[in-house]
Amino acid sequence: MTFAARTLRAFALLGGGLLALTISLHAQRITSDRILHASAEPQNWLTHNGDYSSQHYSLLTQITPANVANLESKWVVQDEVFGAWQTSPIVVDGIMYITQRPNDVKAVDARTGRVFWEYRYQGAPDARVCCGANNRGVAILGDTLYMGTLDAHLVALDAKNGKALWNVPVADVRLAYSITLAPLIVHDKVIVGVGGGEYGIRGFIAAYDPNDGKEIWKFYTVPAAGEPGSDTWHGDDWKSGGGSVWVTGSYDPATNLTFWGIGNPGPDWNPAQRPGDNLYTDSVVALDADTGQLKWHFQFTPNDGNDYDSVQVPVLADIDWQGRPTKVMMWANRNGYFYVLDRTTGKFLLGTPFVKVNWTSGLDADGRPNATPQGPGLPTYPGNQGGTNWFPPSFSPRTGLFYFAAWENYGSIYRREQATYQPGRNFSGGGPAVVTPVPGAPGVGIGRRAAINNWTDAVGNGAIIAMDPKTGQPKWKVEEYDVTEAGITTTASDLLLTGGREGYFQAFDARTGKLLWKASLGGQIVMAPVTFAVNGKQYVSVVAGHTLVTFGLRD
Amino acid sequence: MSVWFINIGMNRCLWIAPPLVAAVVVFAGQPLAVGAQTDHSYTSQDIQLGAGLYTAQCATCHGATGDTVAGVNLRRGQFRKPMSDDDIRQTITRGVPDAGMPPFTFQPSELTGLVAYIRAGFDVANVPVWIGDAVRGRALFEGKGQCGACHRVAGKGPRTAPDLSDIGSQRNPQQLARSLTDPSSQMMPINRPVEIVMKDGKTIKGRRLNEDTYTVQIIDDQERLLSLDKSDIRTLDVSKTSTMPAASKTLTPDEVADLLGYLVTLKGQL
Repeated sequence: MTFAARTLRAFALLGGGLLALTISLHAQRITSDRILHASAEPQNWLTHNGDYSSQHYSLLTQITPANVANLESKWVVQDEVFGAWQTSPIVVDGIMYITQRPNDVKAVDARTGRVFWEYRYQGAPDARVCCGANNRGVAILGDTLYMGTLDAHLVALDAKNGKALWNVPVADVRLAYSITLAPLIVHDKVIVGVGGGEYGIRGFIAAYDPNDGKEIWKFYTVPAAGEPGSDTWHGDDWKSGGGSVWVTGSYDPATNLTFWGIGNPGPDWNPAQRPGDNLYTDSVVALDADTGQLKWHFQFTPNDGNDYDSVQVPVLADIDWQGRPTKVMMWANRNGYFYVLDRTTGKFLLGTPFVKVNWTSGLDADGRPNATPQGPGLPTYPGNQGGTNWFPPSFSPRTGLFYFAAWENYGSIYRREQATYQPGRNFSGGGPAVVTPVPGAPGVGIGRRAAINNWTDAVGNGAIIAMDPKTGQPKWKVEEYDVTEAGITTTASDLLLTGGREGYFQAFDARTGKLLWKASLGGQIVMAPVTFAVNGKQYVSVVAGHTLVTFGLRD
Repeated sequence: MSVWFINIGMNRCLWIAPPLVAAVVVFAGQPLAVGAQTDHSYTSQDIQLGAGLYTAQCATCHGATGDTVAGVNLRRGQFRKPMSDDDIRQTITRGVPDAGMPPFTFQPSELTGLVAYIRAGFDVANVPVWIGDAVRGRALFEGKGQCGACHRVAGKGPRTAPDLSDIGSQRNPQQLARSLTDPSSQMMPINRPVEIVMKDGKTIKGRRLNEDTYTVQIIDDQERLLSLDKSDIRTLDVSKTSTMPAASKTLTPDEVADLLGYLVTLKGQL
């Protein structure tokens, strides 16, 4: 079923009454068919990115531009573990499942926030993650939840009581493999990828049997010697070539392809140490969901030296492309370019910069960049955190626009060093220098900081960009004073919901970018909001700092 | 006058320049024995090693400039409680579970490098600067230098320019030296002077304390804390030029060194 057809079906279902729909689905198991048609039951948020298309778009329309100002806080859940909270909940028939670091899970009443059960995973003490002990969420199939862990295990939990059903190692924690992403369920498989791109791992994506965790297929994101693509590596470089996978992929039922973004090569900042294009790092790969076989790939940044992980969410849509209905994939990349690809073939259709870029002078007809590396001590744009990053974008079929958060006017100066691989040890080959392109200004760190924005817009600013995928040009843009890691969710009432480091939770008109409402939540908003309904009432949940706040219309 | 060349990157004058100092020297107003520093005599190789490790392992949470965890500023040596070098090593290896910091596994030499880098104020350059006499420096601060006309120290003086009570902890001597010779170069972007014209025509001058998409917080020239909605503001001009004259224009090099000698003693302790 095409996305358009699914949309129509969902509207038809909604016409029958949201309340009735909610009741009829209660107590039903989450079958793979329900996941396949997740957008047709908008009262739920069944998968990490809402549905297989990862559009972060909801058909719920109870909250509108006209009444969004009547939103009020209904309940709050506090994170009980200190540290940045990057989780994105799923909502299943009135139950919300939330993770908190390192690998705890909670089941709460999505209407009140009251907790049904908690699960606390006891992971290996020697787990290593470069960038925070994050977990971004769980997946569900049947009555079972699935979670990847920081020590690179895959755990199955009973969704009714939080008890572990099985626990299998996915990779060797001593080599600094980890899992921070939410798994993706495709039919009868649980698919995950591994982190560890700063530790010289050899990344992979793998599918497991949901019944017992047995591995079904595995795709290495860095080919071994002799395999297709291995000619983009020299010698044994591939063995520590990185290619981590730490953001959940997408799935196209029409082609049975699952799409995943691949992270940086190793060592991160010394491309001279690993000559060649370094496939499939900084690429998107299209895998047969049944076999894991590579069908196509597109590399955004060959021989990357700026940590431009391509771990953004692959957003799928069927749009009119130059007069023809086309199955596309839209991708705002960390390297500062916005891309449109034909997702059936991987063909490059469009690529335009959306922020200041100087690592390349442009793309050729196939989308390959002409690299223009900057000299020692000179800033590279976009900077280390990229023009955008892992936080989910959104696509609204109603507006035809692709929405994402960007870091503008932001550059980094790098050190490049020879790195020696030691198993499980850091393998970065340099990094951002302390000095910034702006004299006297501090650099921007990942994650939370004190309440003072002491880098100011002199170092960089955030933006919400509404990109027209047909032209590669923004239809509108809203600037934020501070940079932002907030994901975006849009709805069929043309609302755009997002936040930022400043802690404002904001609703914009998705067609114009006009600010409709905001609330100061007092903590950095990362990830994207989710929206759902219980007993016919629509809610919106967003994580800010150490709180998950759920809003609903005033009664 | 007695002056010493010190390695400010290390902030460890006592071992870097032993030929220049006697067995006992005066630093920060307190006599210190040379031997007291021998346990922490880091090399430039240590700092270089620490710089690489820091960027790879620590900067993601602590930030490139070490100030992104609340209450901690590694570059400036600020912690939630007093930390010896051994305390830092222990914190790295044990982690801070309550704060979400995991334990890290490092070789002893790597730990030494990290501590060296932190203690060096993230400065791998090791450029020596000239530190003069703190007592004379204080007299210059309050007198000829006219610093006290705008800056406040330990509850004395106006608040319109940044309070310098703990500037010796906030900035290393090299940065302070640059502040005295080229004030604009060291002015934090957030601290820039602002001139705001409100939509009702009122003009407000002051110094910016914080800013976001919708609001700006300042201390005005009447020392009032103001939080203004940008929707009420007609123009917001932020100057990149410090209003402070370069001390090197009005003071002799010896006097600048003395003034610096005073500033490095300002650690904020009351």
